[in-house]
Amino acid sequence: MPELGRAALVVALGLTVYATLAGGLAARRRRRRLALSAQNALLAAFAATAVAAGVLVAALARHDFSFVYVAQTTSSDLPLAYTLSAFWGGQEGSLLLWLLVLTGLGAAAVAFGRRAGQDVLAWVVPVIGGVATFFALLVVVVESPFATQVAPAEGAGMTASLQNPYMIAHPPLLYLGYVGLAIPWAFAMGALLARRADERWIVATRRWTLAAWAFLGVGQLVGAKWAYEEVGWGGYFAWDPVENAALMPWLAATAFLHSVMIQEKRGMLRVWNVVLVVLAFALSLFGTFLTRSGIVASIHAFAQGPIGVWFVTFIALVLAFSLYLLFTRLPQLRSRTRFESLVSREATFLYNNLLLVAFCLTILWGVLFPILSEAIRGEQRTVGPGYYNFFFKSFGLPLLLLMGIGPLIAWRRASLRALGRTFLWPLGAAIAAGVVLLALGAGSSPLGLIAYTFSAFVLASIVLEFARGTRARRALGAPTWPAAFAQLVAHNRRRYGGYVVHAAVLLLVIGVIGSSLYQTVREEALRPGQAMTAGEYTLAYRSLDERDSQNAQEVRAVLDVSRNGRNLGTIETGKNTYPIEQQTSNEVAIRSDPLTGEDLFVIADQIDPDGTVYFKVFVKPLVNLIWIAGLVFVLGSLVTLWPDPREARRLAARSERLRSAEA
Amino acid sequence: MIALSVAALLAVFLLYTSIAGGTTASVQPSQLAGKVGTVQLAGKVVGPVEREGRTLRFTLRDVEGTATVRVVYSGSVSDQFRPSRDVYLRGRLANGVFVGEKDSLVTKCPSKYVPKKGTDSGSA
Repeated sequence: MPELGRAALVVALGLTVYATLAGGLAARRRRRRLALSAQNALLAAFAATAVAAGVLVAALARHDFSFVYVAQTTSSDLPLAYTLSAFWGGQEGSLLLWLLVLTGLGAAAVAFGRRAGQDVLAWVVPVIGGVATFFALLVVVVESPFATQVAPAEGAGMTASLQNPYMIAHPPLLYLGYVGLAIPWAFAMGALLARRADERWIVATRRWTLAAWAFLGVGQLVGAKWAYEEVGWGGYFAWDPVENAALMPWLAATAFLHSVMIQEKRGMLRVWNVVLVVLAFALSLFGTFLTRSGIVASIHAFAQGPIGVWFVTFIALVLAFSLYLLFTRLPQLRSRTRFESLVSREATFLYNNLLLVAFCLTILWGVLFPILSEAIRGEQRTVGPGYYNFFFKSFGLPLLLLMGIGPLIAWRRASLRALGRTFLWPLGAAIAAGVVLLALGAGSSPLGLIAYTFSAFVLASIVLEFARGTRARRALGAPTWPAAFAQLVAHNRRRYGGYVVHAAVLLLVIGVIGSSLYQTVREEALRPGQAMTAGEYTLAYRSLDERDSQNAQEVRAVLDVSRNGRNLGTIETGKNTYPIEQQTSNEVAIRSDPLTGEDLFVIADQIDPDGTVYFKVFVKPLVNLIWIAGLVFVLGSLVTLWPDPREARRLAARSERLRSAEA
Repeated sequence: MIALSVAALLAVFLLYTSIAGGTTASVQPSQLAGKVGTVQLAGKVVGPVEREGRTLRFTLRDVEGTATVRVVYSGSVSDQFRPSRDVYLRGRLANGVFVGEKDSLVTKCPSKYVPKKGTDSGSA
């Protein structure tokens, strides 16, 4: 069996090399049949990689510990779902997954990417082939998932904290996002190589970009949820380098998604868009590299392996290749339309882009700071959460405001009088919300008050957009209000799906602000029988229970909870000890209030032998809006992704118009 | 224009990092001598770990080396904390003992299932 896996990967490597070389030759010499053969090689590479993946899955399912990988990541009593999820639990499997997703998505994108034009497509194949060759090389030469050994009696088991349903979904979602960003990059490179600097590569990859971006976004939220429930320190995001690793490409991709709309509509920002797609892809490679190389100290331990050098070299190659192409094709990328006004839809998109990219680069700077400071000053220095929070505020608040302004402002140039009329309602809503919140005591955090006032403004502008559109549809003859609403969304899925995503971001902001700036934290050491308060809650420590489960010893502190004197029942918080893995994990108690979205979050920080427990209690208002935001985000992404022939025709006609206007 | 705006924004955060001094030196026990003020200390825990209520006393050694320093710390401790683990914490040297800031101790996850290389499923 391992021989089959190894052989399949060698075949995959051969095929990706062929796709790169033959594809490049075919595109250069304009050989149709050779191009087709290279395209088929990409598909065959996917099939070969799938065979290798099948071998690994089978080995995991059979607990075949003669596979070093299986022995290192699982044990025989691990439940099946977690055993299979070990596919992406270790380095070799993760790289195999990269290759699998890349060849699969690549082959599909090429098969469905005819809209990009035949000449562009011919170049996309060798570009994707080149990236796939890198990953195939890694799994064949550097980190083979099929290394074998004399089978030990038992595997090393899986880290306790990873035995969580969210951890089954989180890594593959991120990989789909990371790898997915390779598609628009490859099409952009294909367009430059073919000297076709028009909008077709953007139109052809719009859905791939959106899907990759949505996966990356959802993947991060799933990771945050996991951290919140499983890691249990009372938070969900900590500016850790690996968290930043996923955030950076998402920010770059968010900027890209917005700026391509300007290029589609007005033919502007062509160079900028190529820069953004290069940035997004390079950052997703950098993200994989960060999580895999251990170059930056993070709470996640990654010792330095040989893989670091490979990744740095490859990222450098990708950047050099992209920038070389960009500079040599600059004359073709020059746009003929210019910005007409600093107060216009496209201008707000540009501000949004600058803020997103600036935020992305400040994070990158923070992540690289220890390495750079060591190289320059010989002393490693790190930036703390204060650094990231400062820029999160400085760039986040204007971004939030723009989310309300952008949709309401006219393209090209907006008159100030029209602006006043348009913003009357949202401004009114913002002021009203601010006054009400101040009366409710939200002034305890001025920053929170500002953010919430901005949020009300954005919410009002989104509602206004939907209301106006629905009214217009009704006037155009929709029989009922719901029908008018449905027609509105169906006729412009991209725009209104986008607004739904904006609403999700708003929920996220409200949840993050509420749970961080307005949280209550209390710490106290209690003996059984004693009680403590946190906010409106009273917690009475009743007893300490010990019990054995299938693979762990569980210790639980039982607490009676009441709120404002009303009994809310009991909760249990404590620790699990896993003897095989020799690990302990915090098992926190979380009591959610379905009406207010508030959580009571209780950690048994330290349990002394005499029964004294050091409790850490958080009251986190509105925190559940963060998870609801995830659902709304998925909904909005689906609306924008849903196939829409009408819109496709409209896009095609528009880019045709732009092209003929330039010719 | 885009390039200029980006450059301006970059300048802002470069200024922030150099002037606001939001950075902390990250050192190992062997580099601790002569450091004034708050630093981030990284090292390997050497037992025994003495516990007294919320206060821990232990020794930190260079991850690859022999220099050591005594550490006093109180506050949250990860489940993963124990001798031979790599940890880092913020604090300052006082009379030869490194006094950690409350709740600043971070224990790196053990590389349990790929002993010599990186692990983790990329839990961001």
